[in-house]
Amino acid sequence: MSEVQLKEPQNQILKDEEALLLDHEYDGIQELDHPLPQWWLWLFYLTIIFSVFYCLYYLTGWGPTLREELAVTMQEIEAKKPKAPEGGEATDEVYMALLSQPDRIKNGQEVFIGKCAACHGEQGQGLIGPNLTDDYWIHGTGRPTEIAKTIREGVAVKGMPPWDGLLADDELMNVTAYILSIRGSNPPNAKAPEGTEYPAN
Amino acid sequence: MATEREKHSENVIETFSYDDDIVKKFMLATVVWGGVAFLVGLVAALQLANWRLNLGISWLTFGRIRPLHTNAAIFAFAGNAIFAGIYYSTQRLCKTRMWSDVLSRIHFWGWQLIIVAAAVTLPLGLTQSKEYAELEWPIDLLITLVWVVFAVNFFGTLRNRRERHMYVALWFYIATIVTVAVLHIVNSIEIPVGWFQSYPVYAGVQDALVQWWYGHNAVAFFLTTPFLGLMYYFVPKAANRPIYSYRLSIVHFWSLVFIYIWAGPHHLLHTALPDWAQTLGMVFSLMLIAPSWGGMINGLLTLRGIWDKVRTEPILKFLAVAVTFYGMSTFEGPMLSIKSVSALGHYTDWIIAHVHGGALGWNGFLTFGMLYYLVPKIFKTELYSKRLANIHFWIGTIGILIYIISMWTSGITQGLMLQAIDESGRLVYPDFVETVLRIVPLYWARAFGGTLYLIGFFVMCYNLWRTYQLAPKTEKVELYRAPKLAPAAPAPNEKWHRRLEGLVPTFTVLAIASILVGSVIEILPTLVIHTYVESNDKVKPYTALELAGRDIYVREGCYTCHSQMIRTLPGDVIRYGAASMPEESMYDRPFQWGSKRTGPDLARVGGKYPDMWHFRHMLDPRSTSPNSIMPAYPWLFQNKTDFASLRRKFEVMKALGVPYSDEEVANAEASAREEAKRIADNLGAETGIKELESREIIALIAYLQRLGKNPALFEDVKVGDAGTVQQNEAKD
Ligand code: HEC
Ligand code: HEC
Repeated sequence: MSEVQLKEPQNQILKDEEALLLDHEYDGIQELDHPLPQWWLWLFYLTIIFSVFYCLYYLTGWGPTLREELAVTMQEIEAKKPKAPEGGEATDEVYMALLSQPDRIKNGQEVFIGKCAACHGEQGQGLIGPNLTDDYWIHGTGRPTEIAKTIREGVAVKGMPPWDGLLADDELMNVTAYILSIRGSNPPNAKAPEGTEYPAN
Repeated sequence: MATEREKHSENVIETFSYDDDIVKKFMLATVVWGGVAFLVGLVAALQLANWRLNLGISWLTFGRIRPLHTNAAIFAFAGNAIFAGIYYSTQRLCKTRMWSDVLSRIHFWGWQLIIVAAAVTLPLGLTQSKEYAELEWPIDLLITLVWVVFAVNFFGTLRNRRERHMYVALWFYIATIVTVAVLHIVNSIEIPVGWFQSYPVYAGVQDALVQWWYGHNAVAFFLTTPFLGLMYYFVPKAANRPIYSYRLSIVHFWSLVFIYIWAGPHHLLHTALPDWAQTLGMVFSLMLIAPSWGGMINGLLTLRGIWDKVRTEPILKFLAVAVTFYGMSTFEGPMLSIKSVSALGHYTDWIIAHVHGGALGWNGFLTFGMLYYLVPKIFKTELYSKRLANIHFWIGTIGILIYIISMWTSGITQGLMLQAIDESGRLVYPDFVETVLRIVPLYWARAFGGTLYLIGFFVMCYNLWRTYQLAPKTEKVELYRAPKLAPAAPAPNEKWHRRLEGLVPTFTVLAIASILVGSVIEILPTLVIHTYVESNDKVKPYTALELAGRDIYVREGCYTCHSQMIRTLPGDVIRYGAASMPEESMYDRPFQWGSKRTGPDLARVGGKYPDMWHFRHMLDPRSTSPNSIMPAYPWLFQNKTDFASLRRKFEVMKALGVPYSDEEVANAEASAREEAKRIADNLGAETGIKELESREIIALIAYLQRLGKNPALFEDVKVGDAGTVQQNEAKD
């Protein structure tokens, strides 16, 4: 057993603080009594004043509710939406015509690498999804509009996602055209044919 | 030599000793559980960077270990640290031993038992899914009991004190003890349906509000007020400097305690929570900046004049940086509570950055500073190596910075991408996974930052271990002498607050009153649920199978990655469908609004895909969504659905006011089996797999397909709400 004497605190007190030191001590801890910092007080007042006005505005029914604000924004967005797809529904010919536009094919390829290659292979040779370069089709007969439809609606049951809404309309067209463009490219490691054969003509 | 101040000299001088053994115990627990909390956090972080890292083990999946990580960090690491600091400082500030050594031990072992129970049950999926209140009801009861033991012991000690006035640290401890009790009890009112499952009495909006009132104030009164108390003790002790301003202590203590409790709804901005509650949550958060900064000022300016010492003394470095992080987090928090900032930051990694600034910087570093101070002091030796402590400081600081900067970047990047709308009113990034892929590199960076922090922590463990070995082998009990406290005879010229500091019961009652004002004003109206949610028959209660699926969803912790709350924001509405209405979750016990979108919102996923899609997706998310980082759930295809308990579950739900008929209750099990068979037969026809109907996957699919399927709710919504009414209708 040893007895410990409680010592007077040995705190370091700065010159300008001596007058502010309180006559009190807890386990050696002393306290100064600096006034509240002005900037701090003002920060506090400002947040309170702001809050009062904010509440007055929003809590008394003066300001719009969040749902009203949303409705306004949504109407603005609706108004900006293009009314109908330009030029109506694309026909097979429209897709075939895209084949001669390298920038659209190139964009189609980018989309394909980004979104489709994981399942269809970098060159469309087929992985989880079927080979897209051969003459065999599970859905439709290989006509451009049919391919576009499959892409848009997907085959969710078999793991082919629906891309409508996920791809912009022109991206959808471009990737369809890209698939047309790689037809018959005979990539290495091609997956065995699935579906029915519809020779390209 | 004078014994204590002569003014008490008419009193008897008493001799006493301090119980430092209990402090040692809590310190050891802090270090052990800290290691566990950080390690589990690192594993969770790595799983987001690479989904394979749950090794296909159910109890290691993200949804189960994320709650384990948060609970371990808050209640095991921070909790034990708080207790170590409180037991050490309270005895000294009161000049008395703890009231009861036995209660101290019950508190210690009871708390460790709670932690072990949590560490076993959470990975098993036994959870209420309410954040930081996940533990099931038997553990809730145990927590209540242990907390009462702690409170009795603490207030008993105050009663025995030999110092008339309570120092500011003790005010913060009092606020902590009473508020945590109120929060825990109110948020944990639940009805058991089995030994390890319960449903909360609150549903939907109510549950959300009560939960985030709790959740936010767990941060306030478990991670803030006790640590401020520790700061008020250890900073002046380690610095040998007086506290900067007593007046500031008073003002910031009371304003902090009064205002904090209102701020909970800032976790629910733009949700289905009524606007007025959101507005209150926002403004009270803003008003919190000054009270919080009061603490930071008092901490930092106490170091006035000795900054050269801070540069060389690792303890002070840890403490100073902790207080700085406190200041930073308490500025960031109010900013995130501004509705328009929350629109961007909520549900993203920005919030993760925010909490880790607080947890790693403020709580972690303050704890480390305290340990570096306490271990040598208690073992009566010098710290083994200041150099190692400095190394710890720098690795830790760099770790935190990498962590929060990467998560800020991730959160802001993904937030902007998800809300981006082009000129023609379309989402710029309609594919959710694309936004995820963008941030995966940042997940690696975060894991790296966390690893650094963990390495620093191990350096500390080594350093403290070596320090312990330097301790003199023979331990002497130290005796202290102080006069007994004379019966209250306040000095005539005492100021009112000074007087209050001598009146423990009055002080405590005032503290309780301060936190009750905000609580009652916000929660009470919401409990009268009919104010917001007319009782209506537009929302169908869950079928028995859907309920079974819902419980699986809760068990797997899907809510740790998926929200079910479409906010009143264009980006949300265009992506997911009409903004969620309060009615939609009126039967949701517990609510599943979520707090983080690592995956897309699921509020209206019902009917978006065919059953077969979910079947494949849950078995292997990459098969339907290439590059997905969602874990696979193969065990749902093995485990059998718990049909037998459905009747009891329906009974409880009915008792809680869900309009099930007696017949539905009686037939719960049979009807669930029937529904399961229907779904399984269809899937079986396509997959060729037989006897699927008893598997959990079927119940889960039933639940997922049900989400958002309340078309009647939207019948009389005006077309004026334009895009907000487009329900995501079934493609099947
Ligand atoms: C998650 C994997 C996956 C992704 C990603 C994917 N697909 Fe598929 N896709 C499939 C599967 C599987 C099928 C086969 C469907 C079937 O068997 O009915 C398929 C079928 C198709 C078909 C029909 C083939 C036929 O024989 O009828 C087309 C065309 C197609 N995909 C195009 C695309 C395009 C374009 C993309 C990218 C925008 C894409 N797919 C992305 C998995 C995928
Ligand atoms: C680690 C985070 C994480 C966890 C945990 C998680 N998910 Fe996911 N989830 C994702 C991500 C990322 C996506 C988006 C990519 C995809 O479709 O897989 C997703 C997508 C989904 C989707 C498709 C949503 C849509 O609109 O396309 C469903 C349904 C889903 N998850 C259900 C669940 C269920 C049920 C659980 C719990 C058993 C769960 N998730 C757990 C991350 C997670």
